Amino acid sequence: MTAVLMCLLAMLGLQLLTPYWWWVMIVPFAYGAAAARSGWKALGTGFFTAGLLWLGSSLFLYLTGSGLIAARMARMFGLGRSWLMIVATALVAAVAAGISGYAGYAVRAFFKKPAK
Amino acid sequence: MRWVRAIVSLVLAAAIFWGLDNRHGTFPALGKLLNPFAGFWQNGSRSDAVPEKLAVPGLRDEVRVVWDARRVPHIFAQNDHDLYLAQGYVAASLRLWQMEFGCLYTAGRVSEVVGPAGLRQDIFTRRFGLPWAAENAVRAFRDDPEMGEVVDAFTAGVNAYIRTLGRKGLPVEYKILDYRPEPWTDYKCALLLKAMAYSLASYNQDAALTQMMKMMKDQGGWPGWEDFGDRLFPFMPPLVDPVIPPGTPLDFTPLPIPSRGGAEGDGRNKGGASGPAAFSRSLDHSSSDAGGFESPGYRTGPGLGSNNWAVSGKLTRNGFPILCNDMHLELSLPAVWYEIQLSAPGVNVHGVAFPAAPLVVAGYNEDVAWGFTNGTDDVLDWYDITFKDDSRAEYLYGGEWRKATVREEKIKVRGGATVVDKVVYTHYGPVVRLKDEPPFSNMNVPPGAALRWLAHDASNELSTLYALNRARNYADYVEALKTWDCPAQNIVFADREGTIAIWHDGKFPLRWKGQGRYVLDGSDPADEWRGWVPRGHVPHVKDPDRGFVSSANQMPTDAGYPYYLGWDYAPYERGARINEILRSARDIAPADMVRMQADVLDIRARAVLPGLLDLIKEKPATEAGKKSFEELRAWNFEARAALIAPTIFREFWNELNRRTWEDEKPRGVERMTRPASQVMVDQILNHPESEFFDDADTDGAVEILADIAEQAFLTAVASLEKRLGPFGETWRWGKVKGTQLRHIARIPGFGREKVEADGAGQVIDAIDAVWAPSWRMVVELGPEVKAWGNYPGGQSGHPGSKFYDDFVNDWAAGKPYELVFLRSADEPNPAVVARTVMRGEK
Repeated sequence: MTAVLMCLLAMLGLQLLTPYWWWVMIVPFAYGAAAARSGWKALGTGFFTAGLLWLGSSLFLYLTGSGLIAARMARMFGLGRSWLMIVATALVAAVAAGISGYAGYAVRAFFKKPAK
Repeated sequence: MRWVRAIVSLVLAAAIFWGLDNRHGTFPALGKLLNPFAGFWQNGSRSDAVPEKLAVPGLRDEVRVVWDARRVPHIFAQNDHDLYLAQGYVAASLRLWQMEFGCLYTAGRVSEVVGPAGLRQDIFTRRFGLPWAAENAVRAFRDDPEMGEVVDAFTAGVNAYIRTLGRKGLPVEYKILDYRPEPWTDYKCALLLKAMAYSLASYNQDAALTQMMKMMKDQGGWPGWEDFGDRLFPFMPPLVDPVIPPGTPLDFTPLPIPSRGGAEGDGRNKGGASGPAAFSRSLDHSSSDAGGFESPGYRTGPGLGSNNWAVSGKLTRNGFPILCNDMHLELSLPAVWYEIQLSAPGVNVHGVAFPAAPLVVAGYNEDVAWGFTNGTDDVLDWYDITFKDDSRAEYLYGGEWRKATVREEKIKVRGGATVVDKVVYTHYGPVVRLKDEPPFSNMNVPPGAALRWLAHDASNELSTLYALNRARNYADYVEALKTWDCPAQNIVFADREGTIAIWHDGKFPLRWKGQGRYVLDGSDPADEWRGWVPRGHVPHVKDPDRGFVSSANQMPTDAGYPYYLGWDYAPYERGARINEILRSARDIAPADMVRMQADVLDIRARAVLPGLLDLIKEKPATEAGKKSFEELRAWNFEARAALIAPTIFREFWNELNRRTWEDEKPRGVERMTRPASQVMVDQILNHPESEFFDDADTDGAVEILADIAEQAFLTAVASLEKRLGPFGETWRWGKVKGTQLRHIARIPGFGREKVEADGAGQVIDAIDAVWAPSWRMVVELGPEVKAWGNYPGGQSGHPGSKFYDDFVNDWAAGKPYELVFLRSADEPNPAVVARTVMRGEK
């Protein structure tokens, strides 16, 4: 739970301060490489936190003035409904973050275990 | 095993990272775009909020911007510099992406953003010399200290805005296409002017007509072929009511008119190509094989047109003139125009402006109003060039070899190597298409010919706008027009002293009659332009007896005007209808003018349809045929969206034209260039047994109008059934016409499709499929000027803004808004919703 909260706060802070999208990959990678106790944990934490962050923030924006642009973007992507843009946004972040978290853990596992 | 897992997952993560961080073909970089903190989610309507205070570097004094409920900025500055700096800032905040994209397009740099898909367009733009033309224009306004300051201030304003933008604030199109704005320059303002010149003063049928005539000559068997061009494409078209009322006396002594031989004729259009023999000779220079002129489906009709008129106080209810203007351009989102009021000591003007340039283009101030329609005169000619050899280093001119120059055009291509295009320039201008090259889809360009185009010459049209913005009376207006070179315009004028006027203004080459209708001989100095029509000699009229002036892109003058300016003007319908209404109008109020701008009576249909229906002797056998016939019989000739008759009439008309003209073409010509509609109307009304109606493909039988009218009607109905299904709802004009506002970069979802609106290209309310009135304005002069206006779009260029397309429905319904004209920044007005105070550095 602490991990989830830490990841979420780190991503939120970095995203608010800089325009870069890829914090949702860097933060889970770092968590996976430094602290995750298993590959699945790293993957799940990344998936959940990044997905939640982008879901929550896009939903907030959707409800406070970005509904129209979301509808236009949905048309551009050939999606039928504007709220599908929220789903797509959350899914992209979640998948990218999950895999990145897993990769972080796998790298640590590679360096750590041979000593045994 | 662990290393496999580590490597595979790392590679996968890296691939996802790369995939989301980059664009793939036209597919956007998803990571950047979907990022809620800096991607498209930030481009919602929250950015519509107007700041109360703004620091705008470069301002000398305080500037106050008052915003009305339709998001129109009313800028109050204390000096010119601040006024145009603030305009640049405000224009960029509303329309930055549109401003920049238009420049990329005109500079031939689309490939930098879209990749190899833009290359062919960029090559055409560069070959046509648009960047070169803009460079010449920049020099002109840098040489003019007043305009130099205006443009520099505007540029500084745009850049001040660009500097405030982080990635988050970028207009959404930058995020989708994944690039960033670059600094604005005065060159970009010049590009905008050249884009307008291209759009309004480059249409020509020179190559198609030359090919047709040459083939007729070469193939023989066309008795009287020399006259064919003049009969189908007459210099003085039938039915046309010219811009300048016939019989208006000349207030100048004409210069001698050149003739092709070099001797000079004496006015009255008598000088000229003189005789078939000379014309026949003139075709021979064309060394190119006529088959090399391709004429695929290029833009055929003059799709663009506009209306303007002014009525004198004698005809109006309040005793002061009323001026009206609706300029027809290609529909788009963001819209071509935005509305703005600009006020500083010495100027207080309101109207529409191009986002990418300073000043108000069409509008009014407390004393005068003015508006535009396109002149469509011939200021573009092709000269056939004889090169010494394949190196194209020298070309024949006046019996000697002249050196050609080369301009290297370096076209950067996103995701590819830079393409270098070496464009050959003669003293006429660039060779747009080399002999062995495939045709361009933009224009029917004669291969191996050099382009002589007025818009390449240095000119300073902005100074005309600067002076019109400040004009107080007729003398100011006439003075202002002297620097307007290209594109030539019918500039209508009215002032509160009661004057009305229209000048067909521009820089016109002094030509022999018909010069430049066909491809000219680049080796013969006799084919060159021979100087210019003096500025005071352009067609004009002030306060005519009839009490109104008007234009609708038609022929500017009757045969009494001495100079030859061109032949390819708009068909007669809109102009004739405007004059018909105004001739009987009395006690005119602005509301009458608003109604008139929405007039949809099709006078062409009114002229020919009853007679054509009488010719259909045998009543149609099919159900659709019967209903169509009845529909046309009952029609009031109004092009209303809800009616079916306009659909049938257009199809019938097209089919009748096809049957009449298509069989006249020589072998090897893909498509016969269609004569203008008034030539066809004249044939129908006055020459129903004309040989043009004979179907050349039937042996022995000689058809007349009566024979082909019936066939044309039946074919038209059958093809409508095939295309639209059974007679009924799907045949309604509004649906069939398919009016739409496409996004400038054609991004799906960013335009407006299926706008149902009355109107058609040939009626005053010229809402067609993609061409339509781009700004409708009615100005009532008087002690207190009042104006109404609307345009298809909205003030904001941001697709996520509620001001992006909020005018469209009212525009389609023909409803204008009363425009807010403020005398001072503090004036209380219920329409004012927000105020911004701009200051220089904090």
